[in-house]
This record gives sequence, C-alpha cells and structure tokens, in this order.
Amino acid sequence: MLVDLKAGNLAEPVSGRRWERRRIEREVARRIARFRRHGLARGDRVFLPFGNRMEFFAELLAIWRLGACAVPIDARLTPFEVETLVAAAQPRLAVVDDATAPAVAEALTSAGVAVAGTTDPGSEEATAALLRLDDDALILFTSGSTGNPKGVVHTHRSLRARWMSLRDHLGVAPFARTLCLLPTHFGHGLICNCLFPWLSGQDLFVTPPFRPDIIMRLGALLDEHRITFMSSVPSLWRLALKLARPPQAGTLERVHCGSAPLSAQVWEDIRRWTGARQVCNAYGITETGSWVAGLGEADCPAEDGLIGEGWGAVIKVLRTSGTLVPLDAGAECATGEAGFVWLNTPALMKGYFQRDDLTAQAVIDGWFMTGDIGFLDARGRLVLRGRERDEINKGGMKIYPADVDAVVERFEQASDVSTFALDDEIYGQTVGIAVVLTDQDDATLRALHRWMLAHLAEPKMPARWWVVESIPRTSRGKINRDAVKAACAGLAPLDMARILGGGASA
Amino acid sequence: MNGDRQQRLQHLTRFLRTIQKPNKPVESIGMNENLVTSGLIDSLALVQIVVYLENTYGIDFAALGADPERLASIASILDIVEEAAGA
Repeated sequence: MLVDLKAGNLAEPVSGRRWERRRIEREVARRIARFRRHGLARGDRVFLPFGNRMEFFAELLAIWRLGACAVPIDARLTPFEVETLVAAAQPRLAVVDDATAPAVAEALTSAGVAVAGTTDPGSEEATAALLRLDDDALILFTSGSTGNPKGVVHTHRSLRARWMSLRDHLGVAPFARTLCLLPTHFGHGLICNCLFPWLSGQDLFVTPPFRPDIIMRLGALLDEHRITFMSSVPSLWRLALKLARPPQAGTLERVHCGSAPLSAQVWEDIRRWTGARQVCNAYGITETGSWVAGLGEADCPAEDGLIGEGWGAVIKVLRTSGTLVPLDAGAECATGEAGFVWLNTPALMKGYFQRDDLTAQAVIDGWFMTGDIGFLDARGRLVLRGRERDEINKGGMKIYPADVDAVVERFEQASDVSTFALDDEIYGQTVGIAVVLTDQDDATLRALHRWMLAHLAEPKMPARWWVVESIPRTSRGKINRDAVKAACAGLAPLDMARILGGGASA
Repeated sequence: MNGDRQQRLQHLTRFLRTIQKPNKPVESIGMNENLVTSGLIDSLALVQIVVYLENTYGIDFAALGADPERLASIASILDIVEEAAGA
C-alpha cells in the first residue's frame, strides 16, 4: 500500500552510488538515532539546505518517522536569506552536506540552530513510528527569503492525497525507473518527480539539478539507466533538444514538463526527441502538492497551453479572483470563456506557515485561487492562457520581484526600485531591474551590486539594469511593473560589465 | 597563434562579453580555464555559445552532438571552430 510509504531503490547516475531498500532502511535508522541524540521531538522543524543526493531522502524519512517536519531550502541562498528563514521557521536543527557554504553553516549556528552533517550520522541505529497523518510534514518556502517568508505547509495527509490521486490517474508502472534532474527543494521536483514514484516503491535516479553537462548527455543517461519516466521544465528542453543526442533504447514511457508554459512546438519536439508519445504539460502549484492536472492519456495533438483534466482535483474557471465572499456558482465561466482558475483538492496545503492572513487571501471554503488565467474546452480540459501572479519564471524557478525590491530598498542610495520580468531565449524569463539612485555614478552602482550579491541568491540577480528618474505607480501607489518594463524597453540598459570592471562593451 | 585563430579569439571574446556575468572580466579567464566553473558565465549560457557557433561558423550540433568538455574553455571552443573549418 502506498500509505505505508514503501520506498524503492535510490541511485545517483553521476556518482555511480546506489542504495537498495535494505541499505536505505539502515541509513534512515542511523539518522533517527542521530536526531534523537540531538533531542529532536515531534513537531520540531529541521532545515535541509542541500538536496539531490541519496542522503537527503534518508534524512526526510527519519525526520518524518520522528513526527518532525522537514524544511528543504535552496542550497544557493545567501546567509542573509537563510537567517531570514530561520527567524520565521525557528528550526531546532539543520542538516548540511559537504557542499554547504561555510558562511551558511555559520549563519545557522549563530542563529542558535544546531548543525549536523548528513554524511556522518554515526553508526548507532534506532527505529521510530511517531508519524501521524495530520502532522506537518513539509514546509516549502516559495517567496519572502529577503523579508516576509511565505512557507507552504503540507501535512502527511495532503501529501498522501496527492500521491494517491496520481496513482489513481497515472498508475505506477510508467514510473518504474524515474529520473529527477530538478532541484529537490521545490514542489515539482520533490513531491511529484521524486517522492511520488519513490514512495510508491519505484526506483529513483537523482542527479545534481540543472547541470548542462548532464543535460548534454541526457540521451545516453536515459539509455544507460533504462529510464522510464522523467519530468522537466521547458528551459531544460531548450538545452537538451539542441545539444543532446536522442535516446536510442526506447525505454522512456512518459515525460512531464511543468513549472512554466509549454508551447505546442516544444511539446512535439520533445516527443520526436524522446520517442515517447506520452508527453504532457503537468500543471502544478506547490500549494496543491504540485501536479494537480494534466493528461492521463497524453498521446493527443499538442496545443499551446493545454493542460488537461484534474488529477484528484476539481477545476473551476470563475469570473472572480476574490476570496472575501463565498464563491458563487453564477460566477462560473462558460465553456471556452477565459477566467480565473480555482482548484479544490484534498491535497491542498494546510496553509501558509504562521501566515493566516496570506492563507485567507488564497483560499476560501477549500477552494484555492491559483492566480492563473485559463478556460475549460468543450471536453472539460483546462487550457491556460496567462498568469495574474506577480512573479518572474526563470527556467521554472519562481522569483518574486518584491524579494529583490526588498533588498535594494535597504541600500542607502536607492530611493525607489522595481524588479520585473524580461523575455529570455534560454530561461523563458529573466530578471530586469530599474532603480532610482541618489548618486548615479559607477561607484554607487558597484556598491549596490555588492550589496545585492551579499543578500540575494545568485539566480535572483538581475540580468539587465536601468537607472531611472522615477518608478511609475498606480493611483493607489502600487508599482506598475508593466509600465516600468515598457519605459525601460525604450532605453539602453546599463553596461554593467564595464561598470563592474568586467571589460569594455562589445 | 596564427592569424585566423587570433581573429576568431577576438570575435569569441566580444561575444562572451555579451553573455558573461557582469562582475567577472573575460580578460581574466585563461585560455584553458572552464568558463562555467570560473564564474564567467551561467551554466545554461552554454546553449548561447552553441547558437553563436551555429550562426557564425555554420557548425551543425544536431549532427555533431555537443560534448560539454569541448565547450568548456575558450581554447576548446576555438578547436571546434578550426575542426569545422578544416572539415
């Protein structure tokens, strides 16, 4: 039974390491003993600022069996961002690996968090079975690492609801040998790409995330390990389709692409390259346990924005996006009429961590407002047409402009700022920034760049910069990011390579 | 270094300036230094190098396949160009 969490085997194709089920149980038992030595109790939270290796999954099961809650976080966060998350989540313990930056480990220790190494859990073994269905299992911080963290809380009940739904709709056979190339600190990579197959007893092959040298060898990797399933994001395919030779063994049965819009063109290109017909755009949101809709039978013509049917979810498209008053059936859009996408699923998060205000803005009577715009076609399939959410989707990684703005606002010479999305050939979108400075000389810009590097994870750093006289705002004083972007489009961006001493302009 | 290679190096350097991270001078990178691990470019920018080589020198990576080691440094990229020119 899935609810028994019978884990499959784990393998790391890059390092060549592999753990069979018995070894995994021993590794989990060693970590349970280690956590007990640290006094970990039910309800405690454990930070995991690493991932994409077998030890990560052993830590996860050990934490859960002790009734504690795992908080996987992006290994690239700066010490400042880690401190912000620590202040919000108050973890009892953090587990790090040998790649964790010393400054991050120091920041954790300074904040009073005990730090343990994942590669040396000790030889003592112990068992535990304290897990209850309504315990908090995972907190995934989706934004606010520079100010007001927003953490999605999933219980064991909501996670199991997601996995049971996927099993009902997709079965487990296609996932027999699953490859994960995605980071394990966010919903898509962790809950669905990794944990759904692995905790359904299937074999999981996990690699370091987004490594071009691995993507360039993707075809060979699929063949060598007889991979039957993989998930991905469109930016990964931009690389693989161009650089990697196709697989030849024909083992791939199913492919998901998610976390960013998938065009019909790329969809068909993926089918041609992989040789798999079962390719679909898996619609996932962390709050709903990721993959919440898609195509069970995916051998159909590709269409821009086509998602499919709900997987353990009811999908409604409404004319309203408000959560202040109960939803009205009269607000439902007609077939083909675009509106706001709402979801009702037993896999819905418990709420945002200690932020009932944010939960109330997103959920009403069990219905979650996704922030996406779409419609239901004549066959009842969801088709997405856009997003209302204020985010930059950089290769599947969601970057929130407010997080970048919050760092710049604390820079003394910055009097106003707006971060916005720019179209990008590789990532789909990337980060642009317009800033108002009291001093506009190169030295100030260099100081601002240093300030941002110290406070922001590298992927959040802007790719293009503009210094402007003012930031356009709406009549209610809110930043009008579209207007900022439009204003910058007519101006040449700063030559930051020259300003930062990176050489003359091309 | 012969004249052709020098000319290609200058062209490649100009291109790398357009995709490099702003705080790392391309001039500080050695000919055999890894462009990604040195911090000059983001790892996904490798695909931009491929597009550059396709557009500038007509190299067909769909036929050749891309070996990550061969795109790793300025010297190895110039070798690819020279091999393609001699083919």
